Amino acid sequence: MLKIKNLTKEYGKTKVVDNLSLDVKEGVMFGFLGPNGAGKTTTMKMILGLTDYDKGSIKIDDSDSKSIKVKERIGYMPEDPYFYDHLSALEFMNFMASLFSKEQSALDNNTLLNEVGLDKVAKKKIGHFSKGMKQRLGLAQALVNDPEYLFLDEPLDGLDPIGRREFKQILLKLKKKGKTIFFNSHILSDVEEICDQIGIINKGKLIYSGPVKKFRGNKSLEDAFVEKLT
Amino acid sequence: MKNIISIAKNTFRETIRDKILYGILAFAFLFLGMTIFFGSISLGEDIKVVKDFGLAGIYIFSVIIAIFLGTSLVYKEIEKKTLYIIFSKPVKIYEFIVGKFFGLWISVTLNVLLMTIVYFIIVKIKGGGFDLISLYAILLLIFELAIFVAVTILFSSVTTPLAGAIFAIIILYIGHSLATIKQYAIKSGQFMRIVIDGAYYIFPNLEKFNLRNSVVHEVSPSSGQIIYPILYSILYVVILLWASSLAIKKQDL
Repeated sequence: MLKIKNLTKEYGKTKVVDNLSLDVKEGVMFGFLGPNGAGKTTTMKMILGLTDYDKGSIKIDDSDSKSIKVKERIGYMPEDPYFYDHLSALEFMNFMASLFSKEQSALDNNTLLNEVGLDKVAKKKIGHFSKGMKQRLGLAQALVNDPEYLFLDEPLDGLDPIGRREFKQILLKLKKKGKTIFFNSHILSDVEEICDQIGIINKGKLIYSGPVKKFRGNKSLEDAFVEKLT
Repeated sequence: MKNIISIAKNTFRETIRDKILYGILAFAFLFLGMTIFFGSISLGEDIKVVKDFGLAGIYIFSVIIAIFLGTSLVYKEIEKKTLYIIFSKPVKIYEFIVGKFFGLWISVTLNVLLMTIVYFIIVKIKGGGFDLISLYAILLLIFELAIFVAVTILFSSVTTPLAGAIFAIIILYIGHSLATIKQYAIKSGQFMRIVIDGAYYIFPNLEKFNLRNSVVHEVSPSSGQIIYPILYSILYVVILLWASSLAIKKQDL
């Protein structure tokens, strides 16, 4: 379980995340929503230990989320990912796999590239990849350690409609396998389609956390979201 | 240790695939080839001139390679946010920095060795033979480059490649002028002496690694002249890599 308690992050006098508490149970697909600058990416970076926080705590299965032990069990895909241009997709995957104590074989990495639709360009240099291909590679590298928890920052951004559908199918397949998926998104229709639970953050404060259906009632998620924030 | 090796391997692969490296290396080979001409126009001192210019060429071009590759090494990772991916995995900051250092140092060393082969071929063409003193000079050059690579990594952790390159060149210049600076300190007033003395002990004394005159005059260095600078280099590299790790840690990624 991901347990965030009284999380606060300040940049100067501005509180970008303000006393945020949130629980995400195992096996849940959780959409973290909010307008631009609400604090979504900062929260995710704090969960991953990329940014320090001023107050509060973040635990994954009762261990500090920054600990090496936890990092062995999580996967992360950043927003608009950039990789090493000189490496091929397969070389990059092998490099990522080598950073874990249980290293995946090149064969498994080929399978992962196949799953995200990059098998035919596995030996092509990443520098020649399109944004969508990099997005797919971003997901593949996040899965390299077969993580229990997956953190995805705007994973559907920059994908064409076919790519988005394929991505959503992959995420649903991962959910079926029991993975906990936490992702930030602006695309509310996609969140409505695949998420069990959502959290809504605005100006650093969590204003809702719970099932999607309960939040939207009879309206679409987009209408309910706009209504809540205006 | 496993992560350090993985990051070093990746950095090595990344740096040797950089096209800029081949451009610099081509110029280096051209310069080393031209030492034949420099030797020919000297008055019977062909070998000495070839050795002097050859070793100086190896030094200058390896420093240029270290600057071009090193000053952008960590900066690129911060700017393009590949660091997010690396640090979301079970990688400690020091493992990343040490891995980057070894990857680049091995890459620079490989280039030094390639230039050394060309140097020995040219010495042979000019009628000279294989000499151990040149090899000692190259060995110390490699350890001087270790300090320089660590300096570029430190600067690339805190500033832009252009500023990093300027600072690195200043350190290189000061590092080779410390003896002169020390002389100046003796003649200065109390306050200036403290400041200059401080600078003398803070900046790396890179002249300790310079055996080029010994090669030209065929004077064998003592074991102390070899071992002491190597230990000095290791100490400096450890301090610089520790400072780089601290610089990354302090940054809000």
